[in-house]
Amino acid sequence: MSVLKDTATVNEDDANLLVLIIDTNPLIWTRSAKSTGLSLKEALRHLLVFINAHLALKHDNEVAVIASHVDVSKFLFPIPTPPRLSEDTDQVVDSNLYQRFKVVNDQVIGNMKDLFEDITTLNSYPDKASSMIAGALSMALCYINRIMRADEIGHIKPRILIISISPDSPYQYISIMNCIFSAQKLGIPIDVCKVHGEDTVFLKQAAHITGGRYLKLQIPQGFLQFLMITFLPDRFTRNYQCLPGEEKVDFSASCFCHKKMIDIGYVCSVCLSIFCHPLEQCSTCRTNLILASVNECGLKLVNGIKKLDKAKGRESGGST
Amino acid sequence: MSKQHKQAEEYIDIDDEIQTTAQQTGYAWEEEYKRSWDVLQEDEDGSLKRTVENLQHRMKRKKLFRDTSTIRRGIIRHIFLIIDLSEAMMEKDLRPSRLELTLSYAEQFILEYFDQNPISQLGIIVTRGGIAEKLTDLTGNPMDNIRVLKNKKNTDTDGEPSLQNSLEMARSTLIHVPAHGSREILIIMGSLTTCDPGDIYDTIDSLVKENIRVSVVGLAAEVQICKHMCKKTKGIYGVVLNEVHFKDLLFEIIPPPPVSVAQSKAELVIMGFPSSVTDSMPSLCACHSKPTTNGYICARCNSKICDLPTDCPVCELTLVSSPHLARSYHHLFPIDNFVEVPWNSAFTTHCFSCQMPFPNATTSLLGTRVVTETSGRYKCNKCNQHFCIDCDVFVHEVIHNCPGCLATTLSIK
Ligand SMILES: [Zn+2]
Ligand SMILES: [Zn+2]
Ligand SMILES: [Zn+2]
Ligand SMILES: [Zn+2]
Ligand SMILES: [Zn+2]
Ligand SMILES: [Zn+2]
Repeated sequence: MSVLKDTATVNEDDANLLVLIIDTNPLIWTRSAKSTGLSLKEALRHLLVFINAHLALKHDNEVAVIASHVDVSKFLFPIPTPPRLSEDTDQVVDSNLYQRFKVVNDQVIGNMKDLFEDITTLNSYPDKASSMIAGALSMALCYINRIMRADEIGHIKPRILIISISPDSPYQYISIMNCIFSAQKLGIPIDVCKVHGEDTVFLKQAAHITGGRYLKLQIPQGFLQFLMITFLPDRFTRNYQCLPGEEKVDFSASCFCHKKMIDIGYVCSVCLSIFCHPLEQCSTCRTNLILASVNECGLKLVNGIKKLDKAKGRESGGST
Repeated sequence: MSKQHKQAEEYIDIDDEIQTTAQQTGYAWEEEYKRSWDVLQEDEDGSLKRTVENLQHRMKRKKLFRDTSTIRRGIIRHIFLIIDLSEAMMEKDLRPSRLELTLSYAEQFILEYFDQNPISQLGIIVTRGGIAEKLTDLTGNPMDNIRVLKNKKNTDTDGEPSLQNSLEMARSTLIHVPAHGSREILIIMGSLTTCDPGDIYDTIDSLVKENIRVSVVGLAAEVQICKHMCKKTKGIYGVVLNEVHFKDLLFEIIPPPPVSVAQSKAELVIMGFPSSVTDSMPSLCACHSKPTTNGYICARCNSKICDLPTDCPVCELTLVSSPHLARSYHHLFPIDNFVEVPWNSAFTTHCFSCQMPFPNATTSLLGTRVVTETSGRYKCNKCNQHFCIDCDVFVHEVIHNCPGCLATTLSIK
C-alpha cells in the first residue's frame, strides 16, 4: 500500500504495459468457430499482430499475456524460465522479423500449445462453461504490482485487456468484484472485448468502474480492425478520443433466493445478502433477523405521493 | 467569572495521572534501552545486504498477521470524526504542522473509509475555544465532508478543546442510529488539556451504556483520560511517534470493527437499488435542487438524486447499487494468512502470481550454505502455491483474492 504511485495522470512519453488476458475456453471457441467462423487459431493470429503493433508503438512498451483456461490460468508470456531453446521450431534468425516480435510470438504460441496438450481435468470445475477469469485477473494485478514496484519513477502505465468468450460464472462474482475494486484503486483500466455470446454483466461493470472500454464484437472477421481502433490507443491518446454514445451499464441487483431482479430489497445487516421478501433467519449466514424499524413518516409520505400519483393518472411518468 | 474558574479546575493534570498508572502499563520511555545496531550481523561475505533484506521481510510480514477468522463485523458503520482545533494544533513537531498534517490525513482517511465501508456514514465535529461545532451531520457522501474541511474558515484554531462538549454532541446524534449500525467516535487530539463544563466520567459512562466506541489518536503524549475512555468503550488509543505512524494509527480505524453477537442486533434492512436515467431535458434533483440530466430514480418515491450511495432525501430509503454491497464482501470473507515456506521444501523457482524468480538455496562462493533465514516463499494452505513477499502483502491488503486458489483447480496435484 505504501507504494501507491500516481497512476491517474498520464504523459505522452509514458511507457505502456498491456496485460492481455485471453479466455481460451475450448468448448466455446469451437462453438464460436462453428457459428461465426472465428476460431481460436484465427483469433490468435489477429492478437499477435495486435501485440506486435503495441510493442512497435513505443520502444519501451511492455506486454504480458495470460491464458484464462477452463481449469487453470497461466502466464503465456513472459515466463521466468524460457525453455525449448533447441526444439523443432526453426532457430534461424528471420532477417525480416524484428527479434522482439519473434520472441513474443514464439513463446505465446508455444505455451498455448502446451496448455491445450495438457488437458487433465476438464470435469473438475463446478461450472464447465466458464473460464478462470478471476484467477487470471488476480495474477494480472500481482504482475502489474511487481512491475510498478520496480519502476520507481512511475513511468509505466498499466492496463488490462480481456478477450472474453465465456459467460459469467456466479461462483466467481465476489472474486471478480474484488479484482475490479483493486484495479479501480490502483488506477488500472480494464478493457473488455467480448468476442462471442451474450454480454457479460460482470466484465461490463469491470470496464465501467475502472474507466476501461467495453466492446461487443459485431463482425468477427474484422477482429483485428476493432482491436486496433478500440484497444490499441494508450491511456494518453484516449483523452483525445470520443467514443460513440456510452452504453448503459446494468447495476441492478438480483435477490439471492430466486435470482430475480429487484429494485427494493431486504438486506441482511450481517452478511449483506439481498432478499426479495422479509425472512426470520438469513439463509446465508443463519442469523436471526428482525425487520429494521421502517421510517414511519417517510413511508406515510410515500404512500401519500403514490395515491396522489394514481389520482392524477400518473401523467408525470417518472423514469424514461 | 466563577464558571471560568471552575473550568480551569477541570483541566487534567497529566503529571499526576501518569504516576498512578505508569507502574501497571509502562511507557515507551521506561522500556529497556535497545541498541538497534546490535541486531545487524554481517554475513560471511562481510555484507549487510542479507540482514537488511531479512529485516525488511519481517517488517512487511508484521503488518500481515491479521485476524482472518470469520467473525461478525459491523459493516454498516456510523462514525463521528472529532478534530481538535485548539492552539496546540499549531505546533510544528509534525511537519509541516500538526494541523496541516491532520487535515490532509483526515481527507485521505475519509476517502479510504468510504472506499472500504461504502454503505457507512461519517460526520465531522471540530472543537476549539471550549466549544464543539458540528461541521457535517452523518452523511454517506465523502465529498460533503471533504468540502467542509477544505474551507479555511472551518479550520481556524482557537483556545482550548472541549472533549466533553464534542463527545456529547456526537453522542446526541449517534443514539438515533438504527440498531444494526455501529456507533463510533474517532478523535484526533493535539492538546494535552481539555476544557469541560461537567464531569467527563459521566459522559464516558453514558457512552459505554449507549454502545459507542471511542478511539483516540493523540498527537502529543499519552493522556490518562483518553486512555481510560478508549479502554472503557473498547476503542483504540494511540499516540503518534512520527508522521508515518500517525497515518498508520488513523488507518487502523478503517477496517470494520468486530462486533460481539450480543452487542449488535442483526436486522433486515430495506434498501433500494435505483435505476440510472439519462434525460434529454435537465430536471431538478431532489438532493441539491439543481438541474441535471443524469441521475438515479429512487425506487420507492421516484425522486431523482445525483449520486449513490445515499439516503433518499424524500422518503429516506437507503439507496445503493449492487457494486456498493460487493465492495464490503472481502471484509466478510477474508483469505487466510500465508505461511512461510522453510528452505527444505522450497523447490519452486518463481512466484506463482507475479512470476518473480525466487532466490535459490544454492551455496555461496565459500561453499557454506546461504544464511538467509527465509526462503522468500510464502504458501497458501488451501492451494499450496508459493508466493513472493510482495504478492503476499498485495494479495492480503489490496486484492483479497488468492490467485492460486482461483487460478487452479484443487484436483491439480
Ligand atoms: Zn427472491
Ligand atoms: Zn446474513
Ligand atoms: Zn443533486
Ligand atoms: Zn425516495
Ligand atoms: Zn509475486
Ligand atoms: Zn490459495
